[in-house]
This record gives sequence, C-alpha cells and structure tokens, in this order.
Amino acid sequence: MIEPLLEIKNLSVSLKKRDNISVAVDDLSLNLYPGEILGLVGESGAGKSMTGSAILGLIESPLYISAGTISLQGRSIIEAPENIRGSQISMIFQDPLVSLNPLKTIGEQLIKTIKTHFNISKAEALDRSKKLLSDVGIDPERIEAYPHTFSGGMRQRVVIALALAPEPSVIIADEPTTALDVSVQAQILNLLKQLCTERGTSIILITHDMGVISETTDRVAVLYSGRLVEIGKTSDVLQRPQHPYTAGLVASTPNIDPSSFDKKLFQIPGAMPDIDDVPDGCAFHPRCEHARDKCQKHRPPLFDARVSCWLSEKPGGTL
Amino acid sequence: MERFFRSDFFYHFRHAPVAIVSFVTIILIILAAIFANFIAPTNPFDPASLNLMNGFTPPLEANEFTGERFLLGTDDQGRDLFSTILYGLRISLFVGLMAVLLAMVMGVLLGLIAGFLGGWIDSVIMRFADIQMTFPSILVAMLIYGVARGILPPEVRYEMSIVVLIISIGLSEWVPFARTVRGSTLVEKEKEYVTAAKMIGLTRQQIMLRHILPNVLSPVLVIATITFALAIIAEATLSFLGVGVPSTKPSLGTLIRIGQDFLFSGEWWILLFPAVTLLALALSINLFGDWLRDILNPKLK
Amino acid sequence: MSFVTVNQLTRLFDLSEPWIVRTITGQKKRILTAVDCVNFQIEKGETYALVGESGSGKSTIAKMVAGLLMPTSGSVIIDNKNFNDANLEKASMNALRQKTQMVFQSPYASLNPRWKIGNIINEPIKAFGLIKDENDQHKRVIELLEQVGLSERDIKKYPHEFSGGQRQRISIARALASEPEIIICDEPTSALDVSVQAQVLNLLKDLQKNFSLTYLFISHDLAVISTMANNIGVLKEGVLVEQATPNDLFHKPQHDYTKMLLAAAPNLQNN
Repeated sequence: MIEPLLEIKNLSVSLKKRDNISVAVDDLSLNLYPGEILGLVGESGAGKSMTGSAILGLIESPLYISAGTISLQGRSIIEAPENIRGSQISMIFQDPLVSLNPLKTIGEQLIKTIKTHFNISKAEALDRSKKLLSDVGIDPERIEAYPHTFSGGMRQRVVIALALAPEPSVIIADEPTTALDVSVQAQILNLLKQLCTERGTSIILITHDMGVISETTDRVAVLYSGRLVEIGKTSDVLQRPQHPYTAGLVASTPNIDPSSFDKKLFQIPGAMPDIDDVPDGCAFHPRCEHARDKCQKHRPPLFDARVSCWLSEKPGGTL
Repeated sequence: MERFFRSDFFYHFRHAPVAIVSFVTIILIILAAIFANFIAPTNPFDPASLNLMNGFTPPLEANEFTGERFLLGTDDQGRDLFSTILYGLRISLFVGLMAVLLAMVMGVLLGLIAGFLGGWIDSVIMRFADIQMTFPSILVAMLIYGVARGILPPEVRYEMSIVVLIISIGLSEWVPFARTVRGSTLVEKEKEYVTAAKMIGLTRQQIMLRHILPNVLSPVLVIATITFALAIIAEATLSFLGVGVPSTKPSLGTLIRIGQDFLFSGEWWILLFPAVTLLALALSINLFGDWLRDILNPKLK
Repeated sequence: MSFVTVNQLTRLFDLSEPWIVRTITGQKKRILTAVDCVNFQIEKGETYALVGESGSGKSTIAKMVAGLLMPTSGSVIIDNKNFNDANLEKASMNALRQKTQMVFQSPYASLNPRWKIGNIINEPIKAFGLIKDENDQHKRVIELLEQVGLSERDIKKYPHEFSGGQRQRISIARALASEPEIIICDEPTSALDVSVQAQVLNLLKDLQKNFSLTYLFISHDLAVISTMANNIGVLKEGVLVEQATPNDLFHKPQHDYTKMLLAAAPNLQNN
C-alpha cells in the first residue's frame, strides 16, 4: 500500500455571512499519491477552488476551515502552512499575470524564488533558472525578458517554471488552461503531464472541463455542492460513472461527432444550489431522476471508497 | 420597507456605531433647521423683534439692562444666538443642498456625455475639468461670485446673493462627479447590454439615460454626501470672507465672522456656538460619507 | 440567393499611435487586418458556425453581420438588404435591425442589472412597435418567458436573482422578442457550466425548429459546434481557411490548421 503524499480528512470550509453560516466545502476527504495527477472537477461553486485554497492555507475571512485536517507526508499543515506552502506546495492560477510581477524580468523572479528556498549562490540560481526555462519549453536566452513580452501560453509556461523553482512535491493547478486557446491548452497540459512523470511531482488539477480531465488526469474526484460525489480512476469514472451526477456530466458534454447533429444533448434539469440553500439528504436529489425517499432525508456516505449515492449502497445496485 | 430592514445595508448600519451616531446627528441638525420657527424662541431675521440693549448677553446669564436670559447668549445686535444658529443652519443647509444638486446634475451629465461619446467632446469636457481642478474650489467660487456681483444690478444683488452663492459653489464642485461618472460610463458602455440596446436601434440619448445612467449612480451618492459637507464649509468660508449672505440674515459662516470680531474682547460664545454647530454638521456628514463609501464599494468589503 | 450572403468581407483596424506621436518618433502607421476577404452564405433556417481561436476575427465578423461595425470593404447582405447601404430608407433599416438579433457570451454583462426582467424583454417589443397595447405586451412577455423555460413569476425579478444559465435564457427571450429571422450567437455557452450548456444548446435547437430561425454561431469549441452547425467555417487570423459540412470537416479536414485544432481539442472519448 502506498502512503498518500497529501491527505485531506473530513475537511469543511464554512462561510460566515451576517449571522448565517453556510458550508462551501462539506466533509471532504481526499488522498493524493506521489507522482499522480488528480483531477478535481465540478461546476462553478462546487467548492473545487476552495479546496485548493484550503490546501495552500489561503482561506481568508469570512471563510474559515471549520473542521478536518490536511496533512502532507503525515504532518498537519493547517497549523503551520506558511513555510510549507512555498517549499512543498506550489500554485498555478488561471490568469498567469496574477503570479508574475510585471516590473521584474522573469530571470529576477526565478532567481529570487530559488534563493528564498535554497542556500545557493546567485550564479547557481541563474543556472537553475535557465534549466527550468528550458524544461518548460522557453528559450533560456529570454531570461532577461519582462512578462508582458510573452504570449498567454508562454506566460503560463513561465508561471509553471516559477511553480517548479522550489522543487515542490505538490502542484495545485487551478484552471491553468481556461484562459488559453485550445492549441496552447494542449501544449500546457502535455507539459504538466511530462513534468509529473519526469520529476515525480504530484499535481492536483482543478477544472470544469471534462475533456481536460479525460486527457490529463490519472484519478478524478467529482465535486457537487462542496461534497465529494464520486472518486476513482479517470477512465472508470468517465466510462462507467456510478453517480447519476457524474453520468449526467459526461452525457451532457458535447463531443466532436458530426452524427450528434440533429440529436439533442443529454441535459440535467435545474442548476446546482447556492451554498446557503443546499437541500437535505443528498444535495443532488432534486435534479436526480433516480431519487428516492431516502435520498431526500439522509446524506449518503462514500460507498466502496468510490461513490456517494444510495443507489450504490448494496452491491449490484445500478443506475 | 421591510426589505430595507432585512437588507445587508441595514445590517451593516446597525453594526457601525460611528455611522449611527453621525447619521443621528445629521438628522437632528436637519430637523432642527426645518422646524426652526417652532423651536426658536425668537425670529432673528425680524429686525422689529430685536433689542439692542440685549447685545452681548453671555449664555444663561441675565442681561444687565433687561434681565432677559438666553440659552446660548446673544450677539452684538442682541439677537438670541440659539435662534440665530437655527435660522442660520437653514441657510447653510439650503445653500449646501442646492449647490450639491447643481454640481451633481452638471457633473453626472457632463461625465456621462464625455464617457459615452468620447472623442473631441470628451477631450474638451475633461480638459476643462482639469483646468478647473488646478484652482482651489473656493477661489473658483469667489471668482464666479465676483463676476456675478459685477454683472447684476445693485437692486437685485441683495436678493440674489443666495442664488449666486449656490451657483458659485455648485460650479466649483462638479468635477469629481464628472470624473467618476465618466470612468464608470467607460466601463458600462462596453458591456453587452448596451450592445443589445444598440441592436434594437435605440438612440444614443436613450441608451445613455435609460441604460447607462442607472448603472453609474451608486458612487455618485457617496460623492454627493462628501460634497455636501464641502459645500456647507464653502458657504461658511465665503460668508466668513464677507462675500456670502449678508449679516442681516446670517448663515453659520456669517455668524462666525461676526463672532471672531469679539473673540478677544471676551465675548467667546458668539464665535464658539456657531463654529461647534458647523463642525458637528460637517464632521457627521463626512464620517457618514466615509462609511457609505466603504459599504457601497464591494472591493473594500 | 441565400438568406445571408457575406461577400469579400474585410475589416482593418488602425492601431497606430496618434499622429503627433508618429511624427515625433518617426513610426509608421500600424494597420491590423482583423478580417480578410471572407465569403460565406447561410441558408434560411440553417446554422453556420465560425470556429477560431482568440484573435481569429470571429467576433469582428459577428459585429459586422449584426450591423454594429462598418466593414472596410465587402458587404453583408441579409434578405437582400445591407446595413451599410446609404440609400436604405429608415423603415427598411428598422426592419433589418428587427430581423437581426444577437445572443452574447457573458450572462452577467448582457442584462442591465437595474432593469426588471419583464422590462428587459419588453424593450424590443416597444422599440420596434410590434405590439401597442400594454396588456398584450405583458402577455407576449409571458409567452416569451415560457418559450425559454421561465415563468410569469420571473417578470418582476432582477437579473442578479438568476443563475448564469437562466440569464442566458432571458437573453435569448430578449432576442426572440424582436421576432428576428437571424440570431447571431457569440459564444453563447462558453461562460456556462457543462450541464447548463447542454440545456441552452438544446433550447437554441428547439427554437430554431419552431421558428425556422437562422443562426450564425460563433464558438472556439469544436465539440459544441459539431452539435449545432450545418456548415462550419474555420477562421485563422482573419482568413477563412476551410469551409465544409461537419461530416467533411471532422472526417476529412483539408487544412493543416483544422487538423491541428481537431487534434488539440480535449475530447472525452479519447480516454
């Protein structure tokens, strides 16, 4: 049995607004194993970015972690996230400009990051920076260039180089390709995959795009209303979804298929509830065609470490 | 109304002591000014009711000649200071309010036009605003005031002094409104609901007034509050400098001017009470305006 | 003649610095060719999709077809009329405006946040004078809301009370209120979640069938386009590099750029 690298146990993130408390991430447990790409997929407001922020210790008032633990290699990081955040866990955001200082060359930024984490000379840091740039597919000669001289895709590569600089064991990539064109998106995703295999870095890839999940991740966790509804090997989850929501997501994703013209897409009725208005029982039951009495009253646990749905309570329970 | 009491706005208000205190102060002062003729013991604007013998009576003490007592004392002409302040507040508040309205209407319209039409119209309006901003607004007001007095015939000058005051303060305060509204208009006009309005063939005027205007007004409220305080102070300053309302119908500024003549001869109350009233009013409006800005600006929340 | 004919459509943008700056620094004028001699036709009741990456000129074409932007040269002819025809009388111009409507990308920016839904949908009806009587206008608004899957209850609500998908429905109802013949859909679902995207795409298909609407569908997403289009045009840097039916385009792509797009598009079934 492989030990998990990052272990999230019963994590809840709550939001205090006026006198009401609503739960944005609700009793979430996840493991991230060394060298894997784990996808977090869900619609907007499902709590996927919030989970990423919680791991990085970026949860700020009025949000707070109301329960649960997050540990990295067995050590809790909720109490002492500051030093772990930079050196062990890196972040890649959707907008590369968030992570880049427009007034400094990419070389200065890389060297500074390397020197804060490693006690080495400036010359060594410069060498490492050049190496990092060539690793992410940027000509090391451009080390003196400023961020605005790069295109969107190239900027995201610079951000990836910066994220790799502290040699972290975990990278959290929050919609890293959403702002990019499809052709560039494919390159960036391939780069992430390649880095994962070469360096053994684990990646948590947060996205709303089922296609990206399908082509990039080893395992996938599907979130709905801040809750984990299904988790498993990506191919299993996408090809044999157990949860009606996952099945609906897969079925409603359009595919490049000329024969689909004149056919209607599968659609899940309704929309995901607001976090201050989550129904009792299974959060998905008002939109679920299989919903039964039990679904309205009791929240299903995670059966077989795979799916949180009463239909899967007994072996052989099917959709 | 019930919706208002349940709103976020009211919730934040209830939890901000500074906002409550300043709001209550403003309301009390405004009510006192509105109902001045019921509250005030005398009418200080009626020369017939004045008795020069009552001049310089200290607060709460009996006048040595007439034996009359006054809550806040009297000024040099024997006017009851409490009544005079109440009536003076009326003038100050009225001038302030009208000046803000003038500045607001002018600034909002010019800002909207500059932002929406752009091009040379925008350049002309905003360069004019830039030039005006290089002069202190009180100087601008004095300039307009001086020109108006020069043009107007002496008979109407006296009646017109309040109108001239309003116009001169209003014209000197429109720039912040115009700048803010122009900025918001530049953002709003690129939004797709404006394109949708163009798609159904609405005229530019219709798009500006019906679609963009309602969406650029919320920062205007904050600026209006702060400008209100500025306008009241500007009126007081102009009156203090002797170019405002005449001393027969004194505003707070005029009273302060009268008061400072007697400050060093021991009649401190003539200056102190109008000054404290002005301070309380301006400070409350400013504090309330600051709070309003914090609440209405989602970025600061 | 086709319902919509786009003929040698070209649009240049002048990106130069102001004249005085150019004179001082000795720079030349910088002209960007956003759209370069684009030709296509759309038959009545069909969907023509334009696919391309950012900067391909697809939104510029949409604006020109919608009559919001003047072409530098070339023309857009809708039902034998042209927005940029100087001889067009006011009445015909109005009729053309009414026929041509648009559904936008952002569900947040496309509805005026200070207006009630009822007023938003009623505005085109009033602007074009389609229905004079106020009671009839009210009935028509309800009918439109029901056509897009909303209800009478929603008339008095404001846009912020709706989810992204519902707002997009309202946007569609507003477009329908003009009784248009062609709707330009500019990335109508790219800001929506997958499950909601399916609802909106299905709604667009239903409406097309019921009202024999013609669509110009703009998207960067080949998968979405494959479920919607009768014909697809692939745009690259303002040039239409390939034009084909979905079958031909997806099975026998001719241009290298199309092949690259197809290879790069993330697809569920590749797993």
